[in-house]
Amino acid sequence: MAATEKESAKTAFEPLLQFEMEMGTFLSDWQHCDQLSTFMARMISHNRADPVRHSNFLSSALNELLEMSFRSGIPDGRLGCTVYRDGPTERVKLSFPCPSTQRQFYREAVSRTNNGSAYARYLDAIWTELAPSREVILLDLAINFDAEIRLEERPSPSITLVVDLPLEGIVN
Amino acid sequence: MSTVTLSERYRAEFDPNSQEFSLAGVIRPHSVDEIAATVTQLKQAIDAARGVLYINVKRLAQMNNTAFHAFARAFLDACRTRSDIRLVVVTSSVVGWTERMFRHLSNIEPQITVEVYDSKFYPGQTFVEDTSFIPILRTQTKMTWRHERTILPRHGMRAGIHMADICCGIGDFAVLVRKEFQPARIVALDHSKASLAYARDVATNFGITDIEYTFGDASEMLLEDNQFDLVTCRHSLQIFNQPDVLLKELYRICKPGGRVYITNEKNSHCLGEPRAQSIQWTYNEVAKLFAHFEMDVELGPKSRRYLADAGFEDIRVESFMVTNLDGDPQDFADIITAWENVYAGEMAVKRGDPPEFIERFRQGFRDHIFAALHPKGYAGWPIWAASGRKPL
Repeated sequence: MAATEKESAKTAFEPLLQFEMEMGTFLSDWQHCDQLSTFMARMISHNRADPVRHSNFLSSALNELLEMSFRSGIPDGRLGCTVYRDGPTERVKLSFPCPSTQRQFYREAVSRTNNGSAYARYLDAIWTELAPSREVILLDLAINFDAEIRLEERPSPSITLVVDLPLEGIVN
Repeated sequence: MSTVTLSERYRAEFDPNSQEFSLAGVIRPHSVDEIAATVTQLKQAIDAARGVLYINVKRLAQMNNTAFHAFARAFLDACRTRSDIRLVVVTSSVVGWTERMFRHLSNIEPQITVEVYDSKFYPGQTFVEDTSFIPILRTQTKMTWRHERTILPRHGMRAGIHMADICCGIGDFAVLVRKEFQPARIVALDHSKASLAYARDVATNFGITDIEYTFGDASEMLLEDNQFDLVTCRHSLQIFNQPDVLLKELYRICKPGGRVYITNEKNSHCLGEPRAQSIQWTYNEVAKLFAHFEMDVELGPKSRRYLADAGFEDIRVESFMVTNLDGDPQDFADIITAWENVYAGEMAVKRGDPPEFIERFRQGFRDHIFAALHPKGYAGWPIWAASGRKPL
């Protein structure tokens, strides 16, 4: 059993909501990112202590993840998103097509969200980059949303980002 | 297919008089090009500013990283080329992520600072958010509810509606409405975390899970446009220094065809017998005292004008008098005691009133209590309930 799967097995995350979409359909309109993140955040946050503010925070995080998968730009395959909950934390599992040549990029980008230089890299990106890279999106989630991010790799043409968002604590 | 374009979902404005550049709404562009005009507008604002430029993002509900980086770039470039300018980003304590994101800019560039807009901006907020006031708020709602439960259906309250109670305080009105009228959805918003904590505790104790209590600024709400069949806002326009701004927000979140219901007082019309003169003098002074702190507790009869000016139609106004004969007279007396403590004990002191004035001021409240508890006495507190329909 892989380390990531062992960790999943230990926790008590309950599934709340799941959707799948053909990538071709998803990529047909940029507004899908906004619409899906807004709708999902509302559904998921309705029974949080402060549903409006929780939904606002969650929508921000979901939107960034969806925009990242949108920018991958690969029309074949499916986009999948499942949201789970364990206490104050929502877990987002986002799967999207990713060619093998890009897997190493995601491995490195995810690992950089967990090391001590994450904040310095994030500030440097704001200072120097004209537009945010996918790495900066992940750093943003780790720094501004206190997210813990992992990568699940399967032998399929997709990758799965696992993002734990402890938003209930931040909101309240 | 999208029916709403990016530009329709956000607003960017520059007010040269206050040197304030405001961003509001949802900014989630695919590329920087989509917001290029706004970035240019920001750069022009920076060029025009002298000293301090305020960047108001209080009503910025959503912004993606593409937009954040574009605006951040303009801020940082300005700091490089304009050592004479300071940029102050004003965020809201309601939208937590904006403070988190913009705060990083001040770590990069000390010319940029972040200020969190909060209750200190409302002159009277501290008086009404005092937790010691909570028991009396419950009593007030208990006494007004006897009247409002019959009034509300005439103003759009019915089963199955989506409603929002703005400035919900300790949430007791929302609980009573839920029980009496069974709306399908209730959002209850307030700017006092202490009041909301109390509201949530009460809801938990009574097993109520379907009231959505939310922290928010009534004049800058996160709630989306055109959502609610009925928006209630009780005893609150009168304690905001800009009631028209608040009413505009209530209008915004109300569905076309839905109604906004407001209640307000005219404090100088509080009355009692015996000792009517002393009582009347004190309540006239109450109105002046609140006016000193930019609050209009005489607003009740002005409700019709406020609703009309805000664009409502089919305006309905009625008034009712809470009296010592509504249930236990001691409840009425307890409310007046609480008013005396806050108005004479805190507000008049803060205004710097001399002791002899405060003593006379207190006497009117005591006489009101005397009237309320007198076996043949009568004491009243008039309230105006009004509503208007948002045009279709």
